[in-house]
Amino acid sequence: MIRMKPINEYILKTPLTIDDILILHSGDKVLLNGEVYCARDATHRRMIADIKAELELPFLLMNSTFYYAGPSPAPPGKIIGSVGPTTSSRMDQFLEYFLQRGLRATIGKGERSSEIKKLLEKYSSVYFITCGGAAAYLSSFVVRSDLLGYEDLGAQALIRLWVRDFPLLVAYDCYGGDLFESGKIHHRRINLIE
Amino acid sequence: MMKYISHEDLISPLESALIEMNIKSSEKLQNCMMEALTQEKSDSAREMFSEIIENYVIAQEECLPLCQDTGMVMAEVSMGIEVVLTGGTFQEALDEAIRRAYQKSYFRKSVLTDPLIGKNTGDNTPGIVFIQQTHGDELQVNLLVKGGGCDNISALKMMTPGIDPDEIKKFILQELDKNASRACPPLIIGVGIGGNAAYALYLASRALGRPLGTPNHCKEYRQWEEQWKNEINQLGIGPQGVGGRVTCLEVHIESYPTHIASLPVGMVCSCHVFRQKKLSW
Repeated sequence: MIRMKPINEYILKTPLTIDDILILHSGDKVLLNGEVYCARDATHRRMIADIKAELELPFLLMNSTFYYAGPSPAPPGKIIGSVGPTTSSRMDQFLEYFLQRGLRATIGKGERSSEIKKLLEKYSSVYFITCGGAAAYLSSFVVRSDLLGYEDLGAQALIRLWVRDFPLLVAYDCYGGDLFESGKIHHRRINLIE
Repeated sequence: MMKYISHEDLISPLESALIEMNIKSSEKLQNCMMEALTQEKSDSAREMFSEIIENYVIAQEECLPLCQDTGMVMAEVSMGIEVVLTGGTFQEALDEAIRRAYQKSYFRKSVLTDPLIGKNTGDNTPGIVFIQQTHGDELQVNLLVKGGGCDNISALKMMTPGIDPDEIKKFILQELDKNASRACPPLIIGVGIGGNAAYALYLASRALGRPLGTPNHCKEYRQWEEQWKNEINQLGIGPQGVGGRVTCLEVHIESYPTHIASLPVGMVCSCHVFRQKKLSW
């Protein structure tokens, strides 16, 4: 009988270090504290254009964490609107470029392409997921938000969020572990290949 | 007897509906999630359902949208031939309702003027409108709000006429196995069978837009809806793809006459934030 391995829980603080990444395994629960950078596909394209033009980004890439998210506008008196994850696979094409420049972790939702796991091993990085569509709930963990750039992109602007105990699961660790795959192995009751 | 409906009489209920459906989930949907939570055994799956349920409370308390992706609005309209709209077209009324609702409620504006060379329209317009004519003097509008993530896993397959219906099921299971984790499961799945290629996807969308708990009225289709749902749930994808017993809440199928040489099958999904509302005038 296959048994579920016990899940570890960690409280971590950004900027994450390689040592932080090495302790994490797929399925672990993490409460993240500190700053994360909201970036969707248009934000990535703009950052790459800026780096190529030798412009300095308004934050330090080394050991940073990206949150693939485009929040809804903040109503008056609120820190931020709803802010759940967007589909990560759209940002797969940009991941290596940023890992090479020090990006340490990404947060999003859903499976990514198969090359991503190899990249995470190569650069000692981790891919977290958080609950898609629970965006009002997730906004309650945001304690501060700063608009850093690309305001013209609207929901795709570059935003720094300061989060407290932001609830994450490790989806892909830096050892090839994959929560989606192991989830299916444990729960599948049907054979697709007939 | 003609029934006249003014522009403003259309706009204001549409606007209220759009605001409500983005902030408050139906009781039926909330109950489905409670039920799902009790079915799950793994920590990760239970965690996801707990967050989904907690989200209902916080969205309503804080008046925030359930999901930051407040989608592109779709309206499936059936308009009696005795209905006369005064002061503007249905599309204009819907767009005005979207403009007001999304501005006023601080919803995200996610629509581009053109997919390749466009920029953000700034007010989440236009909506997508399908109008069908019916007899009588009733105007019925079924609103559906969906984000991009779940729309991106839509699929169309022109299958071979005469095949076993299990082949259609297999196509759907394979598509979901590849893609469901990206679409925020547990999903509601619409399947359109028949018509032509374009119509199969429209049927799927219309099927999806049926309220929860309304199975197909034809016995065979009703059985397939139930059976396919059960088998999708045996895939083990689970909430958000973390592994679990509940991947799909309901399968809705609609069919239509088709050409002897064709068997179009369309599939369209909604994420677990199922935002659907029916209005009538």
